[in-house]
Amino acid sequence: MTEMTASVTAARPPSDINKRSLPGSLIIHALLIAASLLMLYPLLWMVSASVRPENEIFSSTSLIPSSIDLSSYARGWVGLDVSFGRFFWNSLVISLLVVTGNVIACSLTAFAFARLRFAGRNFWFAIMLGTLMIPYHVTLIPQYVLFLNLGWVNTILPLVVPKFLASDAFFIFLMVQFFRGIPRELDEAAMMDGCSAWRIYWKIMLPLSLPVLATAAIFSFIWTWDDFFGPLIYLNDMNTYTIQLGLRTFVDSTSASDWGGLFAMSTLTLVPVFFFFLFFQRLLIEGIATTGMKR
Amino acid sequence: MSNAMRTPAGAINVERYQGAVAEGRFRRLWNANAPGYLFLLPWLIGFFGLTLGPALISLYLSFTDFDMLQSPRWVGIANYVRIATADPKFSAAMHVTLTYVVFSVPFKLTFALLVAMALNRGLRGLPIYRAIFYLPSLLGGSVAIAVLWRQLFASDGLVNAALSHFGIEGPSWISHPNYSIYTLVALSVWQFGSPMIIFLAGLRQIPQDMYEAASLDGASKFRQFYKITLPLLTPVIFFNAVVQTIEAFKAFTPAFIISGGTGGPINSTLFYTLYLYQEAFGNFRMGYASALAWILVVIIAIFTAFSFLTSRYWVHYDD
Amino acid sequence: MTLRVSRRNFVAGGATLLSLSALGTSALAQEKRLRLLWWGSQPRADRTNKVSQLYQSKNSGTSITGEFLGWGDYWPRLATQVAGRNAPDVIQMDYRYIVQYARRGALAPLESYMPAKLNLDDFDKAQIEGGSVDGHLYGVSLGANSAATVLNTTAFKEAGVDLPTQATTWEEFARMGAEITKAGKRKGMFGMADGSGGEPLFENWLRQRGKALYTADGKIAFGVDDASEWYDMWAKFREAGACVPADVQALDKNDIDTNTVSLGKSAAGFAHSNQFVAYQAMNKDKLALTNYMRIKADSKGGHYRKPSMFFSVSAQSQAVDLAVDYVNFFVKNPEAAVLLDVERGIPESSAMREVVAAKLDENGKVPLEYVSGLGDLAGKLPPPPPAGAGEGELMLRNIAEQVAFGQLSPADGGKQLVTEITQILARG
Repeated sequence: MTEMTASVTAARPPSDINKRSLPGSLIIHALLIAASLLMLYPLLWMVSASVRPENEIFSSTSLIPSSIDLSSYARGWVGLDVSFGRFFWNSLVISLLVVTGNVIACSLTAFAFARLRFAGRNFWFAIMLGTLMIPYHVTLIPQYVLFLNLGWVNTILPLVVPKFLASDAFFIFLMVQFFRGIPRELDEAAMMDGCSAWRIYWKIMLPLSLPVLATAAIFSFIWTWDDFFGPLIYLNDMNTYTIQLGLRTFVDSTSASDWGGLFAMSTLTLVPVFFFFLFFQRLLIEGIATTGMKR
Repeated sequence: MSNAMRTPAGAINVERYQGAVAEGRFRRLWNANAPGYLFLLPWLIGFFGLTLGPALISLYLSFTDFDMLQSPRWVGIANYVRIATADPKFSAAMHVTLTYVVFSVPFKLTFALLVAMALNRGLRGLPIYRAIFYLPSLLGGSVAIAVLWRQLFASDGLVNAALSHFGIEGPSWISHPNYSIYTLVALSVWQFGSPMIIFLAGLRQIPQDMYEAASLDGASKFRQFYKITLPLLTPVIFFNAVVQTIEAFKAFTPAFIISGGTGGPINSTLFYTLYLYQEAFGNFRMGYASALAWILVVIIAIFTAFSFLTSRYWVHYDD
Repeated sequence: MTLRVSRRNFVAGGATLLSLSALGTSALAQEKRLRLLWWGSQPRADRTNKVSQLYQSKNSGTSITGEFLGWGDYWPRLATQVAGRNAPDVIQMDYRYIVQYARRGALAPLESYMPAKLNLDDFDKAQIEGGSVDGHLYGVSLGANSAATVLNTTAFKEAGVDLPTQATTWEEFARMGAEITKAGKRKGMFGMADGSGGEPLFENWLRQRGKALYTADGKIAFGVDDASEWYDMWAKFREAGACVPADVQALDKNDIDTNTVSLGKSAAGFAHSNQFVAYQAMNKDKLALTNYMRIKADSKGGHYRKPSMFFSVSAQSQAVDLAVDYVNFFVKNPEAAVLLDVERGIPESSAMREVVAAKLDENGKVPLEYVSGLGDLAGKLPPPPPAGAGEGELMLRNIAEQVAFGQLSPADGGKQLVTEITQILARG
């Protein structure tokens, strides 16, 4: 095996390697389709609920609505004081900032933990993992007071700035695991050539880590898109609300809720996330895998 | 030791040696450690500035009686004593959370791995399948989920409708204390898209020529999986296992949304963090809630330390 | 040394001030800001914002920002803001929490503003009392409501059962419920909801027996016998099929959408009168309101007219005067009353009631007529619940579920309830 020429190959589906029989392939497809329907049923129900007349939502059990009524979408979009378009925009801005912050800061930190040796590394790594374990409800009040004293409450700063400071230990840990999977020989060769740590990070590590960076980007985006507790606490002005916060104002347990509007807007909110995912997954899948070092 | 340290006679000039060593040591220390710390700088700033302070304050609060409207009042270990000896809801919450962890994590990871492997094989329509399996995870903690789940798991829901075709009359899964936790497990497993993506990324990083070579050598697909895929995937498996377990311990939103914040019926969906939330925001007992939180931190820390210590026996890193 | 201002200077100065304020320069006019926070959904927000705009139009220079959330998200947001000393000026408050917030110093006492700035003369005295804690007024009631039974009249008619009247007893109602279940006209529908875990219902039942939930000084006001009898009564109802079984009742998350009436699982459910309009909007069938049943033909005093919610002023507010003025406007201005309608409850001011009654539509009249027609069913308003009442309510429901699922006997359930609540109250 070591006789093979080392080269950088693109990861392609090995369709020519594992030739399988047609029945086997059909079975797998059948299973996947069945599984897909199972996965999708709740979502299909929600989409169906968003286009049917309001008083039919809970009373009818079938997926097919008796008539298509798009008023839920219209109502949901403009029904609140602030149009939903505003919420979309706010969510988009925050999510994109968070993605940027996470990818940059966490990759820097992970590189340090995975590749560099320095005194106290294991200690700091343990601390970093420790931050992953703290449930946020508890540091909530002290952090709120801290941000209040900084004057950041009612802005998006408390939601965004921590990400640029690598507060998401999940991604640090994820990237560490991936970086450790990349052969050290490349680093060592570069170091022998006199590369600084930064060049190794920038020229070697990052390009080889596109799958994990794409993963981190996708997750960052989606989790931020879905987060409501942070915005609940830090965003007072309705004009700054994010989508999830906006969605929750559709539902109040003590008075009339607008379920049709909720489902319509929930369906809409899936769209950008879905496309974000579609776009980045190509990076993920068509990422580059190495077999070894260049000779 | 360089020759500059030696006197012309060849003996070692101690002072000069020590001086040079000291200077060299500092320089070496700097060269060795500076890059690491420079890369770590953002995280360090964030940790000391934004995390450590609030965490320490919350630790302090756990020894107080704090109703959020007035100043905290020191009570020593009273909160912890109560948790350990006189809190039936604590035991209930622990029981529910452990059940959730034990059931949801293995199932979730298994599905994630199986589907990731199936999708890694280059089937037709691959991107579509991948997106479909990921869609549920996009719904996150949406309020809509409560309704969706009721439509599925209530006594007249879809699951029972399907079961009735087999002649089974199912209970009201979502509102029966014996079964409600499992509807939450199902919700977690339904959203296996996240670990699946991570597994996919990991599978993608396994060099294809290894499989080619193995095939040429006549290895069967099972052997390939066992000898190539699995070992090379262990760092990712480890990651997913640890992280999903930690997240399962900390899970909040599913129980909050589906039980309406009650943890019912009869505390059967009282996730630990939901209990914490009730104490903090429902009963104005932030001090007690902080104590609960730190106990959770300790439990998770023990589990994680254990995982890391045993990982050296089965996780294969390339460095 | 006194400053002598000649009349001419005075007039000139006054005119300058007036003209400047008419221009709205912030330097002199001092734009006053008010932050409002309430729970509810969009319809309530629309009404509230219209009132705020009306107020701003009549009081130039004021700027009012309103924030609202659903009930579940409201309390964490409020608690965090109060803890962070960032509380809004005007806070919507609930009967359950007002004692806690008041006693912990979060609310400003308002009695010094009466009657000049805060004119509650035509309020029912008891409703003003309801917003008082330890002798100080902390909340102005925004509307009255009372507990009520929601009836699906269409389902009753289909099953051929007469609707209950004000004189109906629990026994009679249970018979009606069992008949509806037996008639089986609708799949999965039972007579009534299982109310064993409902605190308003339990309280109503206790009051008819001369007991209560809590005493004025925060102790438990009922005994093991009461609790056991209560759980037992419902166990018998369950057996007879008069009410829904345990796993159906467990779907009820204490809100309008998951009430068994809204889910179509029962023909009768237990709620609050000011939720009627919302219930009717959710249900295709025609609904009606009636009271909670009597224990015996001559039992009375179970109900009470409760402040549905208050406006309180934050103790941290920089604009208490302005806040009080706004609240006064909210509850005493006829135009505002028309905008608000009965969405938050029946207006407490008799003058406003008259104004609103004239403009109500058919659905809006129902809660109004219901509350005013209670007669001897209504008794004295109980004191505001003590700290821990929220936990007590959850405990009642928790044990009720255990009894319903057969994990506890009614007798043991009653014992446990008293023990737990006593402990909860002692913890404070």
